[in-house]
Amino acid sequence: MFLIICPYCGEREQSEFKAGGEAHIVRPKQPTELSDDEWAEYLFMRKNIKGIQFERWNHIHGCRKWFNMVRDTSNDEIKAVYKMGEKPPSI
Amino acid sequence: MLNYSNVITEAKSYSGLQMKEIKPVMKLMIRGKKREFLSAVGKSLNLLLPTEANTLSRSEKLTALWLSPDEWMIYSNETLKSESNDYETENLLNKNISKTNLGAVTDVTDQFVMINIKGDKIFDLFETGSPFNFNDFRNKKGSVTQTILAKIDVIIHNQNQNEVNLFVRRSFSQHLFSWMNDSASRL
Repeated sequence: MFLIICPYCGEREQSEFKAGGEAHIVRPKQPTELSDDEWAEYLFMRKNIKGIQFERWNHIHGCRKWFNMVRDTSNDEIKAVYKMGEKPPSI
Repeated sequence: MLNYSNVITEAKSYSGLQMKEIKPVMKLMIRGKKREFLSAVGKSLNLLLPTEANTLSRSEKLTALWLSPDEWMIYSNETLKSESNDYETENLLNKNISKTNLGAVTDVTDQFVMINIKGDKIFDLFETGSPFNFNDFRNKKGSVTQTILAKIDVIIHNQNQNEVNLFVRRSFSQHLFSWMNDSASRL
């Protein structure tokens, strides 16, 4: 259990949020030209880092907005929170 | 299972706590992002939508609650006559917002149940089932929050000192009201 600062609503408890997986995965521009392996790589493969990870989160029981978060997965320390479409901070 | 009948049949009273459903109250959800949307709503209703998070704005007849950067709930301050079916506000917004493609207007009058809670133990009750920190909220008249109460999504509006309005989806209202009664009886 930890507190998350929603960029719209402010500080809320983690149970109001839903994790949405790794952030900044770019959809291939020409999916039809990819091999099955390359498509599977895009669709399923995630880094799952122990350490600093860029993630998407949704404030599902609040404003229902998506946002990005930089979190250390080993100790749940939140390094940064930023809105969708904003440039990721260099950490 | 969904339950569309009126499930909260009576007002309940405990020491430091009174709860009752207020009805019929008109409720609308409006969504829009454009600047023109905000000004069109302002002109139509004579009410400026709040743009600051967790706040509200109020006119003589209506209250607008901030729910998200592009979503607001508007409800009537007074109860309506049940036989009159007053859709005046909705029609006005439909004309000025929906039909001009500025945003969306949805009537949620029957979807949400408004429960009025009074007393000095309101926040003691909420604290037994919500992860939200009510310390600042309770002292700031006009605060609004969407959070969880007994694992149910609710909208809470701090109307006055020791008076809040709580909005919950109708299908959850019976369970929430019975949970609140149970919890209130143990405070």
